[in-house]
Amino acid sequence: MIQVKNLTFSYTGKPFIQNMNFEVKKGEIFGFLGPSGAGKSTLQKILLGMLPGYEGSATVGGAECKKHDSDFYQSIGVDFEYSTMYEKLSARENLEFFSSLYKRKARSIDDLLVSVGLENDAEKRVSDYSKGMKSRLNFIKALIHDPELLFLDEPTSGLDPTNSRLMKDVILEEKKKGKTILLTTHNMQDATELCDRVAFIVGGQIYALDTPHNLIMSKGAAKITYSWTDVSEQTATCELDAVSKDERLKRLIAENRLQSIHSSEPTLNDIFIEITGRTLV
Amino acid sequence: MRAVRISFFHMLRFVRKDMMLLAAGILPFLIGIIMRLGIPYIEKLLMSAIGVASVLKPYYSLFDIFYAAITPVMLCFIAAMVMLEEHDDHIDRYLFVTELGRSGYFISRIAIPAVASFVVTMVVLPIFCISSLSAFEVFSLALGGTLQAIIISMLVVALSSNKLEGMALTKLSSLLMLGAVVPYVMPRPYGYLLAFMPSFWTGLQITEKQPLFFPAAVAVSGVWILILKRKLEVKIR
Repeated sequence: MIQVKNLTFSYTGKPFIQNMNFEVKKGEIFGFLGPSGAGKSTLQKILLGMLPGYEGSATVGGAECKKHDSDFYQSIGVDFEYSTMYEKLSARENLEFFSSLYKRKARSIDDLLVSVGLENDAEKRVSDYSKGMKSRLNFIKALIHDPELLFLDEPTSGLDPTNSRLMKDVILEEKKKGKTILLTTHNMQDATELCDRVAFIVGGQIYALDTPHNLIMSKGAAKITYSWTDVSEQTATCELDAVSKDERLKRLIAENRLQSIHSSEPTLNDIFIEITGRTLV
Repeated sequence: MRAVRISFFHMLRFVRKDMMLLAAGILPFLIGIIMRLGIPYIEKLLMSAIGVASVLKPYYSLFDIFYAAITPVMLCFIAAMVMLEEHDDHIDRYLFVTELGRSGYFISRIAIPAVASFVVTMVVLPIFCISSLSAFEVFSLALGGTLQAIIISMLVVALSSNKLEGMALTKLSSLLMLGAVVPYVMPRPYGYLLAFMPSFWTGLQITEKQPLFFPAAVAVSGVWILILKRKLEVKIR
């Protein structure tokens, strides 16, 4: 669906995106992870055909991003991080207008509003919406023309856990329908849960690209923490791949004296810091 | 073209919900009526009070130049305010990634309103003008005024960051229209200091009854529009 080869881009003469290479397969959820200013938004703009002055190649659905025709956007849905709604119009008026810009058959506005819990606020002006409501409305606007490719920028930002769950479920529903999704996020938990593959981007370069599971497993050693009572409660840890060498653990298991035992893998955030030397904020 | 048409008509529906913009749309007609009826009446009063043959009459064509400028400026101002609001709400960037695209957006917000302004000016100027204008003069004043309106709306959108600033800048940039006064009041060599104002050339065209000054007004407007187009592209990307 997306192919990027030797992509380089600069705003000022100094490279901002440097020799980037990756591809996104159809039906995949692909995550861009990186701190602010890493180049994620610039990359998204290039893929959306908004910054044609790049070198190398970036194709979306077979079309080179800098040479696209007007039909290019028929199959693309974009959910920017910020609200892109007419504040003076109602949610329904906004969705009706934006859906009318596309030739494709629009999805049911009512169904979409129901999917994100906004069915009772359809006639309310967007200016009266809370941040979370705007975020949900913005998201379904990207789905209104039933696009094959979705660009989602921090889709769960500013949402409470319930609505965040709701949004993630809708995203996973879209994936089930075969949609390709590009997710830009700071939220490692979202990335781990939603993405098939993620790319760590820092300073306009990809530092790592793999499935969240592989990244976690390849770089971090999982640990086991266990506790037992010996006069008072004691705890100890050992590496998961050295369990058989931990004589105390073996003895405690044999004597049925373990009070608790649990494993802990490093998070994607830990891996990000280890690989890039940067935090995500 | 389909998306451009939808976007333009959406803007009109949007304007209907904004009383200030709606009033700006009606203003050229009110100004026209006041000018057509009011100025000759004031002239009569002044003549009888002062006892001279004419006071305002030598400047009737200047009133017409201003009217030909104000009409498109007010109509393009409406589109500029909508653009500023869309920029504040990040809607312009979203529209760029729809079938409308960047060029379609600018066509629906600058080019079509400008064409509509030109047509309206062509219709209302002969109705409300108070000097005797030839058909070519009506055409050139309408076109010159429209180009000036494009400049002012681009200037407002490119340089202001919100609607409030936009309104203030509209007032300020409307000073561009004052170039038309210069040929009426300033000796020629000094007047050329304001040659960068398109309205200066329009004023010259009417005072000198010389159609060749019209291409100069178009050329100067073209330079302004090209410079502002670059500014606008940098601001909205």
